Formats: sequence, structure tokens, C-alpha cells
Amino acid sequence: MPDFLTGAAVFILVVTGLGLFRVLRSQVAVERMMAVQLLGTGGAAVILLLGTATASDALTDVALLLMLLSAFSCAAFTLGQSSSATATERAEEKP
Amino acid sequence: MNALLDVVLVAGLLALALHVARARDDQGAIVGFIAFGFLLGLGWVRLASIDVALTEAAIGGGVTGLLLLRVEAHTRDSSAPDRTARPITIAAAAVLCIAVTAGLAFVILNLPSPPPTQAPAAAAALDATGLENPVTAVLLAYRALDTLLEKVVLILALVGVWSLAPDHLWGGAPELRPAVVPEPLSYLARVLPPFGVLIAVYMFWVGADAPGGTFQAGTILAAMWLLVMLAGLRAAPDTRRVTLRLLLIVGPAVFLAVGFLGFAMAGGFLAYPAGAAKPIILGIEAALTLSIAVTLGMLVSGPSKRAPTS
Repeated sequence: MPDFLTGAAVFILVVTGLGLFRVLRSQVAVERMMAVQLLGTGGAAVILLLGTATASDALTDVALLLMLLSAFSCAAFTLGQSSSATATERAEEKP
Repeated sequence: MNALLDVVLVAGLLALALHVARARDDQGAIVGFIAFGFLLGLGWVRLASIDVALTEAAIGGGVTGLLLLRVEAHTRDSSAPDRTARPITIAAAAVLCIAVTAGLAFVILNLPSPPPTQAPAAAAALDATGLENPVTAVLLAYRALDTLLEKVVLILALVGVWSLAPDHLWGGAPELRPAVVPEPLSYLARVLPPFGVLIAVYMFWVGADAPGGTFQAGTILAAMWLLVMLAGLRAAPDTRRVTLRLLLIVGPAVFLAVGFLGFAMAGGFLAYPAGAAKPIILGIEAALTLSIAVTLGMLVSGPSKRAPTS
């Protein structure tokens, strides 16, 4: 069972990694920030699987923290966006 | 299977590091760096250093990311002259980085096997502290003096940041709120902090017996506070407010007081009386968590941008 869980973790890590590089290469700034969100979700999944595979409860806390801070990083990103001309563009886009 | 996981992780880290180094715009590099921090957290998990993984995710991924994004937004606004480095500078930086990496690799690969370690001694003395997490025991019992000085350094760093404020703004509040607050940000700033505060309290409490502790808890609290200030739900406080300054020093002050009490109660600076070590350590940690949260929050907020009110 631990081998299967670790295998699943490897699979998720590879898929997340491939998605990460696709998103990071995007020309749109907001899409690049979604890379961090992607890694937060994928990384939390990998850590939870590893935690179950090695029966260490403390890893659940790491996954929790990863989720919380990836959401925080996305919020931080809006800071750089709205201080320049893009702010007005985004305001106009709103319905 | 574990070896395969490690290979994938290292390949991902190297590729991400290359991406950060080659990114054309600063913002792309910073986003890559935040992602790198999270992935590095995974690496620390694989090395069974869960305390370090928590800190890396909190500091490397969270607060440093915000700090760098703020700097980037600031320098972009001021339309600085072209900052493109000359090829010779880039080459010099590359050579230096490679030298550091090669040096580190050389040292790591030449460690005696088994490496010299204090771990058995630290584990053996754990019972005397009443704690179950050896990392917390090292930080707050065996090497408490180092931790105390580290917290004082944080305050010195904040004094350095504050001193960048011009004279007429001295004592005023820093400004975090952007000109336009996007709708999702103010929604997130209302939803996330309750969970964040809960997780921070849990992280502080669990730190005595499992990975976690005061620094991680303080960082999460700081992140949640910054989120609220970013969304403009609460303005940053005046830097001359007495309550703010008391909160900044309460952690180191309690730590120092306990240190001097050690002379009277246990016969030495920072010595804890037998049997009462754990409650004393938890008390110090509670005060330190508050101080670290306020210090990190104010560090990222930067120097004063507004004149002090009245």
C-alpha cells in the first residue's frame, strides 16, 4: 500500500510539474500566478499521500499551510496588478 | 518508488530554478520564486525536516513573495531607467553562483559517514524539558540564547526599515492598500483570516509536541494581517502607536525577563526550574508569536507613507 500511495504522489507531482511549466510560460500575468495556486493544490495532494504512506500525521499540517499560503500569495499578486495602468483596464472589465 | 519521487522532485526544482534565472520580466521571476519556495517545502518533507518545510512554505512561499511583489510594483511605478544588467555582470553572477553551489556540493559529499551529530544527546535530554518536539527543545531550551538574539535582530531590522521614512512622515502609518482593490481580494480578505488565525493558534500549540511552533504561527498571523491591510479593510497602524510598540517588544521582553529570573530560580541565565520548563516555554512562545506576527507584518508594510494622525 505505501508503494501505491508513493506512486500516486509521483504521478501527481509529474502532472503538476508539467502543468506548472505550461502555465509559467504564459504571456498573461494572471495565468502565471495561477501556477502558484496549482502548486499549492498539487503539492498539498502529494504531501497528504506521502503522509499517509509514511504514517506521519505532521505532514497534514504542512499540506494545510501550503493551501493557506498559496491562496495568500494569489492575493498578494493583485497588489502588483492594480497599481499600474492595468487597474483601470480591470475595472472596466467588470460588469 | 521513493527514489523516483526524489528524482522527479530534484528535476522539478532545477528546472524551476533555471526558469527563475532566465525569466525576462521581474514579475515572472518572482512568481517562479514563490512556486520554488513551495516545491522546496516538498523537498524538506522528503528530508524528514518537517519543521523546516513549514518555515520554508510560510516564509519562502508566503511573506517573501509578498515583499518581492511589493518591491516590483514600486520600482515599476517609479519608471526607473533601464536596469538591464550588462553581460559581464551576468557572467560574474553566474560564476559566483556556480562556485557557491560547487563548494556546497563538495562539502556535503565529503561529510564523514555517519556525520557528527548531537541528535542522540538532544533526544536523551528531552524528558527534562517536558516537550516532545526536539526542534522546539533546541530552539527554546538548549539554544535559547540564539533564539533570543534572533528575535532582537528582527526588531533591529524593523528599526532599519522605519528609519527610511522621511522626517515629516516619521511615526505615521505605512500604506499597503493599492489604488483599486479588486473585488475577489476583499472577498478573500474576509474569508481567509478566520481560518488563518485558527491554523496559527493550532500551529503554536502543537509546536511543543509536533512540528510547528512560534515562528510558523507568527508568520501565518502576519500573513493574515497583511491580507486585511492589503484589502483596505483595516488601515495599517501609526508606527508611533504605543500599543503597537509594546506588542513589538513583548516577546523579547518576556524572554529576557525569564532569562534573568533563571539566575534566581535555577542558577543561570535562561535556565528553567526543573519540572516547570514546559509551561514557561509555552508562555515565552505565546508572547514571541505575537511579537513575530507584528514585526513581520510591519517589516513587509515598509516605512511610513502617511503623516501621523494628530
